[in-house]
Amino acid sequence: MDRIAVIDGIRTPFVKAWTLFEDIPAQILGTISVRELLEITHLKSNLVDEVIFGAVAQPVEASNVARVISLYAGIPKEKRAYSLSRNCASGFESVTSGFEKITCGLDEIVIAGGAESMSNIPLVFGKDITKILMRLNKSKTLMRKLKLLSGIRPSHFKPVAGLVLGLTDPVCGLNMGQTAEVLAKEFGITRKEQDEFSLTSHKRAAANRMKLREEIAPVIVPPDYDIVVMDDNGPRENQTMEALGSLSPYFDKYTGTVTVGNSCQVTDGACALLVMKEEKARQMGYEPLGYIRAYAYNGLAPNKMGLGPAYSIPTVLKRAGLKLKDMDLVEINEAFAVQVLACIKALASKKFAEENFSYPEPIGQIDMDRLNVNGGAIALGHPVGTSGSRLILTLAKEMKRRNAKFGLASLCVGGGQGGAIILER
Amino acid sequence: MDALNLKIENDIAILEFDTPDSRVNVLNRQTMQELDSIVDQLAARAGSEIKGLIVSSKKEGIFIAGADIKEIEKISSAKEAVEKAQIGKYILNKLGRLNLITVAAINGACLGGGLELALHCKYRTASFSEAVRIGLPEVKLGLIPGFGGTQKLPKIVGLLRATNMILSGEMVSGPDALRYGLVDRLFPPMRLVEDSRDFIRELLNGRVAVKRRKKQGLRNSFLENTPLGRAVFFDQAGKNVIKKTKGFYPAPLKAIEVIKRTYGQSAERGSLLESEAFSKLAVTEISKNLIKVFYLNEEFKNFPWVDAAIKPARVDKCGIVGAGVMGGGIAQLLGFYDIPSRLKDINYEALKTALKTAKGLFDYAAKKRILRRHQVDYKLGLISPTVTYKGFENTDLVIEAVVEDLNIKQKVFKELGEITTCAAVLASNTSSLPITKIAEAANSPDRVVGLHFFNPVHRMPLVEVIRSSRTSDQALATTIRFARRIGKVVIVVKDVPGFLINRILLSYLNEAGFLFEEGMKMDDIDRIARDFGMPMGPIELIDEIGVDVGYKVAKILEGAYGERMRAAPILEKVRDKMFPGKKTKSCFYIRAKNKKMPNPDIYKIAGISRADSAISDEVALKRMLYVMINEAARCLEEGVADRPQTVDIGMIMGTGFPPFRAGLLRYADSLGTDNIVRTLYDFEKAKKAERFRPCNYLISMAQTKRGFYGTI
Repeated sequence: MDRIAVIDGIRTPFVKAWTLFEDIPAQILGTISVRELLEITHLKSNLVDEVIFGAVAQPVEASNVARVISLYAGIPKEKRAYSLSRNCASGFESVTSGFEKITCGLDEIVIAGGAESMSNIPLVFGKDITKILMRLNKSKTLMRKLKLLSGIRPSHFKPVAGLVLGLTDPVCGLNMGQTAEVLAKEFGITRKEQDEFSLTSHKRAAANRMKLREEIAPVIVPPDYDIVVMDDNGPRENQTMEALGSLSPYFDKYTGTVTVGNSCQVTDGACALLVMKEEKARQMGYEPLGYIRAYAYNGLAPNKMGLGPAYSIPTVLKRAGLKLKDMDLVEINEAFAVQVLACIKALASKKFAEENFSYPEPIGQIDMDRLNVNGGAIALGHPVGTSGSRLILTLAKEMKRRNAKFGLASLCVGGGQGGAIILER
Repeated sequence: MDALNLKIENDIAILEFDTPDSRVNVLNRQTMQELDSIVDQLAARAGSEIKGLIVSSKKEGIFIAGADIKEIEKISSAKEAVEKAQIGKYILNKLGRLNLITVAAINGACLGGGLELALHCKYRTASFSEAVRIGLPEVKLGLIPGFGGTQKLPKIVGLLRATNMILSGEMVSGPDALRYGLVDRLFPPMRLVEDSRDFIRELLNGRVAVKRRKKQGLRNSFLENTPLGRAVFFDQAGKNVIKKTKGFYPAPLKAIEVIKRTYGQSAERGSLLESEAFSKLAVTEISKNLIKVFYLNEEFKNFPWVDAAIKPARVDKCGIVGAGVMGGGIAQLLGFYDIPSRLKDINYEALKTALKTAKGLFDYAAKKRILRRHQVDYKLGLISPTVTYKGFENTDLVIEAVVEDLNIKQKVFKELGEITTCAAVLASNTSSLPITKIAEAANSPDRVVGLHFFNPVHRMPLVEVIRSSRTSDQALATTIRFARRIGKVVIVVKDVPGFLINRILLSYLNEAGFLFEEGMKMDDIDRIARDFGMPMGPIELIDEIGVDVGYKVAKILEGAYGERMRAAPILEKVRDKMFPGKKTKSCFYIRAKNKKMPNPDIYKIAGISRADSAISDEVALKRMLYVMINEAARCLEEGVADRPQTVDIGMIMGTGFPPFRAGLLRYADSLGTDNIVRTLYDFEKAKKAERFRPCNYLISMAQTKRGFYGTI
């Protein structure tokens, strides 16, 4: 069987938004990852057929950011590139999209990844003032101009953060944190459980910095080039339950349990993976990190988007013909601690399996020593368009270290979806 | 006959320039005669039969490259020059007075006399092609425009812009020319003539009006439109020229004088003054020398150093080892030419500095409108920094620029030999170590060459390509093509210590050191060299290089060549006191707030109590120059350089040897080799120093009354 191989991958450090990378736009972060991927795999850039990149907040100055990244990375102009968004699963979608392109015979060698600079999501002005300004531009008479100008109110100049808009679901009207609170209430998950989970994430990420360096390309930070960033700056070596406990709930002041401490961080970062057929890899002398066994996406109620993995994991397992217990390692993106915990509960629940999949038995138990063994987004951060690719990279590298047979990566998706991929070696 | 062809289609005439047996169109005597008679024909038919004229070119990418330089070179008297200029202007003025709508359709290079011809047309159009370059580069040949350029250009683009264009000799692109009003329309290359014809029709119908001058800012308006402003402007322009040329080049000053005296004057008077100034310059030694250097440059652009049958390999990606001043500079240069590089150093500090410097240079280029803003990010991104050899596996050419230490270089070449494919060329940027020795460490010495850049990399136009006894033709051909692609002038030299340029230059630096120890003041030594036209004096240059580096190279050459290249002891003394050159801003000179002062401590170190000597300026200059000439002769004798031209272009492009002296060996010929030999013997006797003894090559030339370039 000619499987689709993930040859190797590399990412920039994940850096908290508005810190070290705040002056680096997404296209440059993406370029660094793609260029470095070409270097570590010593692939001639003219062999790349297509660059597919996930990006949720496409930079306004670089629409189709993948194309910009491709050219900036020195890939010849004759080659193809496109950007895509499946929200938080964009970095998954780029890889599975590459899988589909290769399987259909449209591409042979694909670089798939994600690039997100959440620091650079612009503030936006409201529609009212935008309309006035556009019409002012077009109006010809002074009277008309004056009339338009007289309609301007100070409140028109209150900008709205694009980031806040992006993190709010337009269908259910809740922001992502509020959907997390929905799950906390439905599954009865306590603040303490969430904080403990978060503490583990930090401890693991901090303890495994040296391992994580194997997937990171150090970045000499433009535009001043004074600083070299080699590590993610999210993980806190000295995170404690006390510190986490002292934070007040962010989304629901009184009865809420979700805090900034037990949610993912807002982060800048990019990741790139080299994808091709097993046979092609063999011809080129590559030893792949792993192969894609199966993948799945599914939809669910937008206000419970955090539960996405609980649906996509059973689906992907079925496609792969495997059981949850076969998975040596599991990565579930930590958008919110409560959302991961809710997924674990759902997967272990007989009722959930019966109601949603008509299975007589629960899908299975995920124990903590197989889950997010090097920490997750609560510590590392969640640059939305990038995280999917990062999960695949981190999982594949760890599978190699442990010589694991199967690994599962999954994430919840804003807007009410889930995504899951099974890798094998 | 027939560089010109006149077609008449309906009521519009098309005059095509097509100089026979030539890649370019030039305005030589014959072409001008043809033009004269065609203009007369047109004058007879203008108005009734013919309404418009398009002047166009049949040459790809060339409109008219200018007057024929060979004819200018041959001008021997001022009278002849005045006549030539006046006749040319007489013909062009007739063209200008034709009762036709005249349009120059500029499809490419439109330079010097070519532009002057276009300026005599009522309108100019150009194609959107990148080949369009428009300018008056006469000053670069020690001349000023002689066919009315100084008179016509200010009327079209304004006084300020015209003066700057004439003084710099720089060429402008089509879009810039449109902005300046120098051309009136840009058309697609394929439709240039057709669209120009439609343009004439529209002008005839009065459907379009051409507006050339844009609104000026207050400052420029003052400078251009008021007598006081113009006085200020000309004064400032003169000062800038003096600052830039140090007074060695009379042409730009003459140009200012002509424009200043003729601005607003009658056309006849203006054109006579221009012709007179032109004629004075055309007969100068400086102009003749600059023309020689122009030819030299042209010759070296495409000189085939290896058999044409050997096809150079493509270089898509480069590796650079060592991100110091040179390595970083090379990475920046490659980025500028859109070549991706992988830049390795052992730690991040050097990489940071390299990227910072590169960004500074790119930003500067953007500020100077050499690059567009958006190109900066792209070009900068082509430099990929690393501390490992990852990514070197697929490089086509690697440039090593680590410290000048044979052991370290050999280690690098051993590693490179293993990690790169056998097709990759491995080049060392060493300035003094033998390539053959470095190559021994690589698994295939045939792909090792020397590729010696000069500091600063982005500014110095020369590279020495060093061929060792093992270097293959293939590696050499690839390296030469690559070096030319990144804008460098290439000379190929033999693998001897110091190669060609540093070997010659070091004899000069040493001599400066000896003069200093004999009691000459360092600022006097430097002044003498600068007065000769060197861009900086030898002692300043040592500071610039760094005394540590200079000493190291001097010692290597002393080891190789013995007594005659004995390092001036002052270098060692100063180095031992550890003055690390410019890096701390104090060595031979102390730098404070952009001012340089001789460092008094140096005299103490040298054991000189009172700096004062009986050596005349003339003797000092001769000592410094003649040891170089002597060493250059040795290089020719040993075949380090293949011919005197190689030495001359190398010294001009690599060390800034004054172009107006046409090169070290041209200069030697102007003095006479017998003269030089005699003086060298005198120095040898007086100083009891072997280093002055003339070499056999020089002696035999002197005896047969020949110069480096043949009979004098």
